[in-house]
Amino acid sequence: MKFKMDFVSSVTLDEKTRDKRISFILSKVKDGTILVTDGVLKADEEMDLIKETMRRVDDGFPGIEVCSLKKQTKGMQSVLEKVTDQKERFQNLIFGLTGREESKTSLRTGLTLIGPAKYIKKIKKNPNSFSVMTEV
Amino acid sequence: MAFSNFFQWFLNIFGMKKEIRLGIYGSVNVGKTTLANRISKDWTGEEVGKVSQVPHETRFVQKKEKVLLKVNRKKIMINLLDMPGLATKIDYKTFLRYGFSKKAAKQRAKEATNGVIEAIKWLSNVDTVLAVMDATQDPLTQINITLLGNLEARNIPVIVVANKVDKKRADPDAIREAFPQYPVIEVSALKGKNMGGLYEAIAKHSRRAK
Repeated sequence: MKFKMDFVSSVTLDEKTRDKRISFILSKVKDGTILVTDGVLKADEEMDLIKETMRRVDDGFPGIEVCSLKKQTKGMQSVLEKVTDQKERFQNLIFGLTGREESKTSLRTGLTLIGPAKYIKKIKKNPNSFSVMTEV
Repeated sequence: MAFSNFFQWFLNIFGMKKEIRLGIYGSVNVGKTTLANRISKDWTGEEVGKVSQVPHETRFVQKKEKVLLKVNRKKIMINLLDMPGLATKIDYKTFLRYGFSKKAAKQRAKEATNGVIEAIKWLSNVDTVLAVMDATQDPLTQINITLLGNLEARNIPVIVVANKVDKKRADPDAIREAFPQYPVIEVSALKGKNMGGLYEAIAKHSRRAK
């Protein structure tokens, strides 16, 4: 049996809103594609990805395996990241109140692998690397 | 929902609560319900839910309200929330190995997926979280990383609970090394080991009560 791997640039994901980004990822993974993205989803976005995955679980799709390597930020960069997060969170709450579509958020610097759980049996993560065990 | 999120965000800025909603989160089978039962039994004499070796035994949020903790002359009223285990995959075939019929296994898987969704939704409504990890397992899982990242982004106080330290293979230091920025408390919920240490940590790190 064959499986496909797609490598996706951050530009492709950056131009989508959160919902569309998650939908794009899951449609690929549910089709059996292992996706490697140039960038890391924010933690709350990744939680939304898990939530949406659960909605799509069925007999042939037990879910996903996901692993990311995020560039660690320190000092002022870390503070700025947190301020941006709070700003985006507040912005999206306001957008939710007014019924507007969520704003686009950029990915964090790093690397993410997302694949179908039926092929990826285990991901062993270390702080700066990870190994993927597949069974096809 | 959007309004309640906004209201919660507004309340969180001031960090004042009459009661603390203490969410117990973690992966599947790390001992969340055993811990919830231990906390609840210690302070109310009653258990919260059933414990099982079968994954996803807890498929609905289990609550124990008005649990009064008394720690170092400080009183904290908590609403204990035992969450379904977080997972990125749920395969109904897993349950077949535990003797479930195909129909029952599929039903359980369906309930388990709903449980994960429910647990994630509740993240907007908890004040403090006990992030439970099995000290015999590798802590660097994406679920743990995503959970802690989420709580940090939401500014929710978190205590990492290194559970199952009564087991020989337990390595709570691996959890400390993986997540050095969080308070890590070693416990055995099953044996009741170091529960006092956990209660002190809850009193110290929880969002302040009125």
